[in-house]
Amino acid sequence: MADQLYLENIDEFVTDQNKIVTYKWLSYTLGVHVNQAKQMLYDYVERKRKENSGAQLHVTYLVSGSLIQNGHSCHKVAVVREDKLEAVKSKLAVTASIHVYSIQKAMLKDSGPLFNTDYDILKSNLQNCSKFSAIQCAAAVPRAPAESSSSSKKFEQSHLHMSSETQANNELTTNGHGPPASKQVSQQPKGIMGMFASKAAAKTQETNKETKTEAKEVTNASAAGNKAPGKGNMMSNFFGKAAMNKFKVNLDSEQAVKEEKIVEQPTVSVTEPKLATPAGLKKSSKKAEPVKVLQKEKKRGKRVALSDDETKETENMRKKRRRIKLPESDSSEDEDSPGAYEAESPSPPPPPSPPLEPVPKTEPEPPSVKSSSGENKRKRKRVLKSKTYLDGEGCIVTEKVYESESCTDSEEELNMKTSSVHRPPAMTVKKEPREERKGPKKGTAALGKANRQVSITGFFQRK
Amino acid sequence: MFSEQAAQRAHTLLSPPSANNATFARVPVATYTNSSQPFRLGVGVKKLCELQPEEKCCVVGTLFKAMPLQPSILREVSEEHNLLPQPPRSKYIHPDDELVLEDELQRIKLKGTIDVSKLVTGTVLAVFGSVRDDGKFLVEDYCFADLAPQKPAPPLDTDRFVLLVSGLGLGGGGGESLLGTQLLVDVVTGQLGDEGEQCSAAHVSRVILAGNLLSHSTQSRDSINKAKYLTKKTQAASVEAVKMLDEILLQLSASVPVDVMPGEFDPTNYTLPQQPLHPCMFPLATAYSTLQLVTNPYQATIDGVRFLGTSGQNVSDIFRYSSMEDHLEILEWTLRVRHISPTAPDTLGCYPFYKTDPFIFPECPHVYFCGNTPSFGSKIIRGPEDQTVLLVTVPDFSATQTACLVNLRSLACQPISFSGFGAEDDDLGGLGLGP
Repeated sequence: MADQLYLENIDEFVTDQNKIVTYKWLSYTLGVHVNQAKQMLYDYVERKRKENSGAQLHVTYLVSGSLIQNGHSCHKVAVVREDKLEAVKSKLAVTASIHVYSIQKAMLKDSGPLFNTDYDILKSNLQNCSKFSAIQCAAAVPRAPAESSSSSKKFEQSHLHMSSETQANNELTTNGHGPPASKQVSQQPKGIMGMFASKAAAKTQETNKETKTEAKEVTNASAAGNKAPGKGNMMSNFFGKAAMNKFKVNLDSEQAVKEEKIVEQPTVSVTEPKLATPAGLKKSSKKAEPVKVLQKEKKRGKRVALSDDETKETENMRKKRRRIKLPESDSSEDEDSPGAYEAESPSPPPPPSPPLEPVPKTEPEPPSVKSSSGENKRKRKRVLKSKTYLDGEGCIVTEKVYESESCTDSEEELNMKTSSVHRPPAMTVKKEPREERKGPKKGTAALGKANRQVSITGFFQRK
Repeated sequence: MFSEQAAQRAHTLLSPPSANNATFARVPVATYTNSSQPFRLGVGVKKLCELQPEEKCCVVGTLFKAMPLQPSILREVSEEHNLLPQPPRSKYIHPDDELVLEDELQRIKLKGTIDVSKLVTGTVLAVFGSVRDDGKFLVEDYCFADLAPQKPAPPLDTDRFVLLVSGLGLGGGGGESLLGTQLLVDVVTGQLGDEGEQCSAAHVSRVILAGNLLSHSTQSRDSINKAKYLTKKTQAASVEAVKMLDEILLQLSASVPVDVMPGEFDPTNYTLPQQPLHPCMFPLATAYSTLQLVTNPYQATIDGVRFLGTSGQNVSDIFRYSSMEDHLEILEWTLRVRHISPTAPDTLGCYPFYKTDPFIFPECPHVYFCGNTPSFGSKIIRGPEDQTVLLVTVPDFSATQTACLVNLRSLACQPISFSGFGAEDDDLGGLGLGP
């Protein structure tokens, strides 16, 4: 019964599908031991020839044996066509084995197609290539992937003693624990780690990422510098009435998105240590975030920024986002503009403080950090700008908001702590043109759909 | 024997004195040769700085062969000679070559009964002779360090085999050799052959791939000379070849322990000793612990039998600078000189070892092989202290479709060759069975 099945199968393969049926191919296709496949092929050939002597079957055989050549006995293994089989056999001194290699309908000119058939079937069965073989090796046990990857990692790490690059690639693990480069970064804000600990705890639910986030935040903080003073004010500051609800929504979504943030963090952390953290942060923030969102991000570090990146589309805040986007791209650093969080500002409504709670908390810290690490590269500062835009009802709204701006002189940083009031005058000059640019953009954006990114030509349209 | 002969006399001397007293003739000297010359203490080993003219002595030093045809980068870049770079030749020997012996302080030219064309730079030898007036040392005899001491191999009870293959030459575009490689893998993994053959194949305890896994053509550096826009999306030929190699290694290591040695055309460092290939190139095969990536030269003790071998760069370099033609002869000669590669670092790239030279044989192996030779050869040689070594030259598989099976119990080697069938050539010819 079962015997007939395989005969039929072979018949079908050879005659109907016109395939080249090698013993290996048959073994994998039918899932039988190779020797059994060879015997099946032989059986088929015999029967077919008995039934129908004019059958169109060409068979190749494998012959192996030894013969004396050049004074020593050489073992030969050869694939031969049926018509040459007897001749080859007669030449061999000792014939070790003969068996059917393949059956096909057409006469083969050379052994190339045989090899191709075998190669194809092998490729599709690479993982269990010795399953049907006659020899089983006890020592050949594939290692578990985790084990092999860890061993490969060890191999890499042992070779990459200069691991300043490692921080750039893989492994949050290496980032968090070790390479010297990342260490430098983390060392600076070492003292601040404690300060951020609470913030981190509040922010991150996940444990794993926490170390990364802390490292990030620390770096952010160091890079960012002083956001501290103004933070509390800041949050309240740019809460113009119109913007209030939006911001609230934003924050809510942010909360919800925290998880996402965590998820994104890995990717962020990858980029982060690469450059000066400010630069890294800047990148994430560049994705057109509203000032508020930006500021929030700054406080929470990359995470926030990242989440904003993800969520900004989904959420509102188009208007604010648009404003920030272009200038951000020009100015280097990102949201960490320790904006002189000018305390004054348009009446800060008691905004969604709960979500902002953690944020303001961090605000005080960054500035101190910043001063301590005053020599850092360009910091992003919060500068008060007034933005004009067209809101939903077609009314032109002007509001003063903080947006991050890069500032290279450290003097600014010192100033930040002292009086934020001084800052605006200094910065306003710079900001004015920017605001104007933003204004028209904002208008178009407001009119436009959500998530639409303003192009550089928006400036001209509006005017 | 002596007592029996003496006891045959009839009368004894325990009797009154007799008149006759027999005298016996001493057996004459048939032959006598005094061959205890080596034990004469009259010959001293001297340093070159202590040589007195016309005094016979022994000097030990390192040879340097000054060859006018030897490619020299300095001569090539020198502008005053206006020389074009020399085309590569198969042999750089010339009748005008001269030998110079160097010790720690001085050097001296050699002449006399010493085969200049056979020796190469870097050989350490002792010469016996004397200094002549012209400042050259007239050599009367010389000798090498000869075979190192050898520990005997423990006897084995069953037949165990080690398969030596070299020169797989993947990526070379030769379809014929791919079929041969696949047949080889099938035999070793037990898919091919009758039950008897599969049983024998199961006794193969190890496979050693001795270098040149990739073909020479994968090393082509055309992309350096071409314009960037032409080579933008092209991939190095070695990438595809390494993928093929990974699949082959996967099949092999799923069934038998494999040692992979790098060779001249493989992606590892150029200088000897070559470091193992990096496991990241073989993601599929490194999952198996039976795969071992090893150095070139490689030595190991397999089932009590000491193996030592290289991928053939040392032997082919000596071939270029010596008149010796047979690779097996060169292999034996390196064993007798007790140094794997005397020409390194003069003409063969080598890491600049400072304190110790790892290429000196501290101990004599039982099987000494070298890969990528033009043809198969094997010989058993004996040393002065009863050492027995099996020398094997493993042929280039991509050209000859032949591998070597070493029987560890009897220290014999048998070549094993594979073939398919082609349209044009006579099958028998292809198999080497023709007349």
